[in-house]
Order: sequence, then C-alpha cells, then structure tokens
Amino acid sequence: MPVSDRFALFRTARFKLGLAFALAMLGAIAVQFCLMYSQMTTLEFRRSGQVLDREMQLLLAMSPEHLDYVIRERSTDDLRLVVNEAGIFTASHQPVTGELHVWPEGLVADGQLHNVVMEPEEGAPYTLRFLAARMPDSRVLVLGRSLHFLNEQKLMLRRASLTTLVPIVLFALFAGTWLSHRALARVKDMHEAIDRIMRGDIHERLPTGTQQDELQRLAASVNRMLDRLEQLMRDMGNVGNDIAHDLRTPLARVRAGLERAVSGPQGASAETLQIAIGRALDNLDQCFAIITALLRLAEIDNSKGRDAFTSIDLAALTRDIIDLYEPIAESEGVELLFPESDVSVNTRGDRDLLIEMLANLVDNAIKFTPEGGRVRVSVGVSDAHPFVAVMDTGIGIHPDERDAVLTRFYRSDKSRHIRGSGLGLSLVASILRLHNAELRILDADPGHPDRGACFLVLFPANEIAKPAV
Amino acid sequence: MAGTATGLDEIRVLLVEDDRDIAVEIVGELESRNFAVTLAETGDTGLEQACSGTHNVMVVDRMLPGMDGLSLIETMRGQGVRTPVLVLSALGAVDDRVSGLKAGGDDYLTKPFAMEELVARIEALLRRPDDSRQTVLRVGPLSMDLIDRTVMRGEREIELLPREFRLLEYLMRRPGQVLTRAMLLEEVWNYRFTPQTNLVDVHIGKLRRKVDVAGEAVLIHSIRGAGFTLQAPE
Repeated sequence: MPVSDRFALFRTARFKLGLAFALAMLGAIAVQFCLMYSQMTTLEFRRSGQVLDREMQLLLAMSPEHLDYVIRERSTDDLRLVVNEAGIFTASHQPVTGELHVWPEGLVADGQLHNVVMEPEEGAPYTLRFLAARMPDSRVLVLGRSLHFLNEQKLMLRRASLTTLVPIVLFALFAGTWLSHRALARVKDMHEAIDRIMRGDIHERLPTGTQQDELQRLAASVNRMLDRLEQLMRDMGNVGNDIAHDLRTPLARVRAGLERAVSGPQGASAETLQIAIGRALDNLDQCFAIITALLRLAEIDNSKGRDAFTSIDLAALTRDIIDLYEPIAESEGVELLFPESDVSVNTRGDRDLLIEMLANLVDNAIKFTPEGGRVRVSVGVSDAHPFVAVMDTGIGIHPDERDAVLTRFYRSDKSRHIRGSGLGLSLVASILRLHNAELRILDADPGHPDRGACFLVLFPANEIAKPAV
Repeated sequence: MAGTATGLDEIRVLLVEDDRDIAVEIVGELESRNFAVTLAETGDTGLEQACSGTHNVMVVDRMLPGMDGLSLIETMRGQGVRTPVLVLSALGAVDDRVSGLKAGGDDYLTKPFAMEELVARIEALLRRPDDSRQTVLRVGPLSMDLIDRTVMRGEREIELLPREFRLLEYLMRRPGQVLTRAMLLEEVWNYRFTPQTNLVDVHIGKLRRKVDVAGEAVLIHSIRGAGFTLQAPE
C-alpha cells in the first residue's frame, strides 16, 4: 500500500470533522474544569474565614483563665472539629498555651485572615489559614484552619476529570465521525454520480434527496446545468447531422453527374462534357457556400469585440441595401418598397455585420415572396429603440416554427424547394446577439400567419437615437 | 483570357507561406499561368527576399513562424519597398482585415479561397489603374464621360442608373481584367459578405443588357468559376 494511501483516512473530511468535534468538546471540558476549580476555592476560603471569625469572637468572650483552660485542653467541640490549630502567645509572639509552639511566620495580629505555609520537620509543607487577635490582657490568640478539605476536593475533581477525559474524547471522535459520515455520504454519492457522468453516461444525474438543504440545492443546480449541457450536445450533434446531410446532397449530384459523363457513350461531345463539368462546379459552389457560411457563423460567435462599433445610420444603410437588391427583386417579379424619409436613425454597431444582417433579411424576404408579391422595409425609432422591419407577402411563418427558423439548417417543409445554405437566419441571429439587439418574428398582416412574415429587429435603446418625426 | 499575364515578359511573385500544402497548390496554380514564383517559408526569409529581390507582387500569409506576416509588411514598407502585397489569413476575428490593411497590405483574402479569386486579385494588384486625371474612359467602342456622367457606345447613348454607372466605371478602369464577384461587391459597393443569392450576376446582367444590345459585339464577358471582364472586341 503506498504511503499516501496509508494516511488517506486522516485526510478525509469525515476524520477532520470528527477531530474538530472532539477538540471542541475537550475545550468545553477544560473551561468547565477551570470554572469549578476556582468556584470551589473561593467558596472554601469564604467558609473557613467565617468559621475562624465566629470561633474567635466566641473565645474572646470568655474570661482569660477559662480561655487558657479551653485552649490547653481543647475542651469545646469546635476546637476539636473545626479549628485545627490554636494557641495563646505573648505580645512578643512567645508561646504561652496550646499546641502551637511557634509563631507562624508572616502572621500579623490584625484580625485579618492570613495564609501561612507550614514546613513541618517531616512530610510535605502545607498551607494553613490563620486568624490572630489581641486579647484584653494584650496577649494574642491564634486560630488556624487547614485547607485540607479543599485540597481533597480539588484532588477528587482532578481525578474525576482525568478519568472521564478518555471516554469523552473517544465518544466525541466517534460521534463527530459518525455525524460527518452521514453528511458526507451524500457527497460520496454525488462523487460517484459525477464519475459515472465523466465515464460518458451523460444521462446520469446527481442524487438530490428530500432534504431542502444547501447540498440539495447545489445538486439541483448542477443537474440543471447538466440538462442544459446535454441539450447543447444534442443540438450540436444534430447540427453535425444537418451539415452532413446538406453537403451530401450536392456532392451526390456532383458524383452522379460526373459518373454519367464518364461512362456515357464513347466519344461524348466536348459540349456534353462541358455542361456536366459546369453542373458539377455549380454543386461544388453550393457546398462551398455552406462551409463558408458555417465558418462565418463561428467567426461571428467567437468575436466578442465591440471595438469596431461605430455610430451607424440605419436609414442610410437600409437605403444602400435596397439599392443593392432592387435588381434582384425586379428579376423575381417582387416589388421592393422603402418609404423614403430623410430622418436618420442612429445606433452603434459594426457596419459590415449590420449590412450582412440586413442583406440576409431582405434576401430571405425576396426569396420567400412569390411573383407579384411585395417586400416592404421600414426604419424608425420606437420607445427610443431604433428598429428595422422587413415585411413580405410570402407564405409566412407559423407561430410554432418561429423559434426553429433561427436554428441552423432549419428549412420549413413549405420551403424545401427554395435554394439556400439554410444558415441565413442563423447568421442574422448571431450578428444581432453581438449587438444586443432583439429579433422578433411577427405576422405581416396581424392574425394571418399565412399572409406574410415580418422580421422586426429592435436595437438597444440609446441616447443618440433621435425620435421619429 | 482568364488570368493571362499582362504585357510584361514574366511576372515575378513572392509567396510567403509556411503551410506546405497550400504553398504547393498556389505555386502550381501560378506557374501554370506563367508566373515566376519564389517561395519563402518563414517571415525572416520572406523579408530578406522582399527587400533584395525584384518582385512585382507579394502574397503573404499572416501567421508565419518567426516574424509574422504583418510585421514583415510593416518592416518592408519601413524600408521603402513598395511592392503590392496581398495578405492571406485564416478565418479569425472580424476586424482582422482592417489590421492587415493598416500594416501596409493592399488587399486581403481569407482562407479558404478559390484559386480564381487569388489569381484575379493578384492581377488586380499588378494592374492597379493609375488614378489619372482622365475625364473620359474608353474601351473599344465604349466611352464614358466622367464629368457629364454620360456613356456612349459608338453613336448610341446608354442611359444608366447611378449604381450601374459606378459598376461600369469600375469595369472600364480595368479592361481585360478578371473581376470576381467578391471584388466587385467590395470595391463597387464597399460590402464584405457572401450574399446568399447571385446578386452581382443580376447587376452585371442588367448592365450587360444595356451595354451589349442584340447584334453588337459582346463587351462584358462572364468567366466560368471566376467572375466577369470587360474587354474590347478583337
């Protein structure tokens, strides 16, 4: 087993969480211990003080002769039970009566409590609490009480704390690990699901469970992202199929035509061959146009720069495009209308791309309008949004199809016979995305989707847009 | 007539291109049209050749090992070499073209391109009209008065719309030269896109019906796979 694996357990979040839990618990115990310790000390000090004070008052109230006797014989219960040391000293601290033969060092006869460390000839030093007071005959009465009881309590507390420490830490470690295991088990499930997705099972989703917590929300977000990615992948796959299909048709025609020309009757005339080659070239040109349009789409989608944007007069631009397409419309028998006005409609954009966009819309409108029909282009400003509208009297676009026509290679069943790369409107959509403009497909004649379509391009509102007159 | 060399004995082309396959294809095409081609595969050798040689025209790829195409052109122009340059580029950012022309290129062509397009553009660079003070253009029986804005074919006056006049002027300034659809769209209309329909053909068709009336010699010719040319009859 590699070294790194041996310590794997200690690196898991589960172990770390357990450890943190145990440490927190230890901290809590330590705080509690300190608190009890100091509380106990304070309490015992106060109690011993009270005991010595009361005893002192009692003894001082006796006559000196009786007091001598009481101290010498320890004749009261109190002197036997609550006072550990008692003695009478002269004013110059010489022992007179009692078991205490030496004046405790540092003791002052001021009626206050003093802690004095006693150092017996045998055994460890210990602390006594003394109270010394002057008797009426100027001698000094000394009473002492040991802190023995407090020390025993402290010892007991220390022992109890130490003995419970090990089981508590173990319990905390176990509980922490178990709790975090429960939380992290879901992360592990997600991890496994992600592994499966990465292995190529793109339909797999993260388990979400029923708890409405952060983890669940995260999983739900990731799942939504996966849905979107799967959709995009499927779309891309479809685009691939569409490209293959759209290229296959003209290429098959090229092949068939050339094959016929080659295997035809011996000595086919040069003219026949010329025609066959010409047709082949036409079909190849169509393939070329599709590929160029696709590359162009990628180019526009990838260009994020709006650096080339300048102020564009949409009216002038449209006038030029109308001029460019008029002969086409004429040869198709379609009337191309552009109501002239000298109002300028300004927006910001890339001139070349906007021309391409408009040309595609006009081109499309002419293509889908039958002979004798009419294409009408108008430019203006609506609610500060500069707009261009291209209306035709063609077959129209059914409301259900309006989103689909903007996708690549979409060809309505009604328009299968019309030649084109199938990418014109995709180009328009890409260019408009770059300009933050919106494309709306409406009925040219409201309520009659079969009486022509209206492509409305709405540019973002801007300050330089002049209101229509 | 498609892409034949001009009156000069031999046209020398300097091609700076690092992609072998494309280079071989271009060299083959140009040599079949009687151009003498020198190939340089890096920017540095290209610059050396450009400054020392006597080339009539250069074709320079933008992306080159060592010195890139645009730096090459800038350096070369800095040294006073005025050889016309056609810049080739892979499809990239929309405004690549502008930077190419700013660096001192004379024309710009995006890969992939048809060989006819390349040849037509090289020819156009070789025979750039000397923007003279001529006020009357003449090609065969055709004459165009640029001041009165009238066009005569022999004794017959041809009525043209402004856009048709502009198109014919462009053709008459380049007699005998093959002009592709993209070139016409770029130069006459100042548009840079590939239309979905045969826009230029329709415009040329309308112009041709006015210029070449039944019974007259054909002046505006279509060249299969390439474009159009205006040529005086033999």
